[in-house]
Amino acid sequence: MRISLVNQGIGRARTPPYDQDVPRLLAPRYWGVHLVAIVAVAVAAVLGAWQYDAWQERRAAEAVDLTRLEPIPLDDAIGPDDPFPGDKVGQPVVIEGTWVPDATVLVSGRELDGREGYWVVTPVATTRPDGPALPVVRGWTPSPDDVPAPPTGATELVGWLQPTEGTGEADPDPDDDILPQVRTADLVQRVDQDLYGAYAVVADQDGVNDGTDGLEQATLAQLPDVGRFTALRNVLYALEWWFFGAFALFVWVRWMRDETADTQTGPETHATPETDSEGEPAGTAGEGQ
Amino acid sequence: MKNLFNAYRVLAIIVGVLLAFCSLVALPLKYLAPEGSDLQQFGEAASIMWVAHGWVFMIYVVVAFLLSRKAKWTPAFTILALAAGLIPLLIFWVEHKVSQRFRAEHPELVTSDAS
Repeated sequence: MRISLVNQGIGRARTPPYDQDVPRLLAPRYWGVHLVAIVAVAVAAVLGAWQYDAWQERRAAEAVDLTRLEPIPLDDAIGPDDPFPGDKVGQPVVIEGTWVPDATVLVSGRELDGREGYWVVTPVATTRPDGPALPVVRGWTPSPDDVPAPPTGATELVGWLQPTEGTGEADPDPDDDILPQVRTADLVQRVDQDLYGAYAVVADQDGVNDGTDGLEQATLAQLPDVGRFTALRNVLYALEWWFFGAFALFVWVRWMRDETADTQTGPETHATPETDSEGEPAGTAGEGQ
Repeated sequence: MKNLFNAYRVLAIIVGVLLAFCSLVALPLKYLAPEGSDLQQFGEAASIMWVAHGWVFMIYVVVAFLLSRKAKWTPAFTILALAAGLIPLLIFWVEHKVSQRFRAEHPELVTSDAS
């Protein structure tokens, strides 16, 4: 099929009617060019789609309000050694275990209704008292001097699951119990057990748990924005890839047009791809100036 | 043609500087500096410049392509010039070559004080 088209094309290359240019472009010596062009366009399209998907996923993960879902057992959302599940941000989880009161810390720089304050964080050991622990934000307090004594003993509560923070903000005073972020690297120095790669913000203010007494509800609205910028980066990359794909397409079409134009205007010879862009002044028919 | 050439030079230098900064400063700092150190954080924050590089490179590709048609670069040099936006430091050499050739072929378009 192709062969016959090619023969036809070459045979009439000297004085082709316009509709014979298309078969001519299918000549075997051009196949490499077409292949490169198709691959370039396809690769750019796929990479763009990949970045676009990543952008949408991140946005979806951010936008979906999981906080009103039915609580699920903590074990179903994340294990002690698991990385944070990206689709579980804000998922209410049931946390059963034992408070680790000695490891209570404050996290600075948390606003509530425009007031600067602190989160009060106490880990809960989930299986045994010395088993892996999940840091739990019990609530918010305006002053580090005004923190109720940490709860002790067994507990069962519902909290919103959150990935641990860690943009690398340094702890200005590593010796006190005030941290700048809910960060595993800092918290792990204050407990004897392993920590989850996540933390929880207590959700059931009306529930029966002593951990929140004397503290105001810490809400997810107080969370710093995470990932928004990164997600923006994804969509910018997606647009770039598609642009390059369109550009490759443009160059390809342009090249084909020049090839066919050459055979129409160039009387003595038809240009090869090599001489096309570089060639003699009359060679680039479309652009000559 | 002169405007295109000037636009090309400006874009080439911006792309070159951004690429050199991203790949030779931000990237090593982000991955090689001690985790959590100030330098490492700077490298991580500076990585956003990759986006800037990508977008300027996009414009660069179009302008370089248009110039390649007008200045009748060989396909090989055209490809090299386009790819130079992705290979650190190469673009400075390419820009130099382009300028050299442009001045040689169009002395009437180049002002005498051109460096």
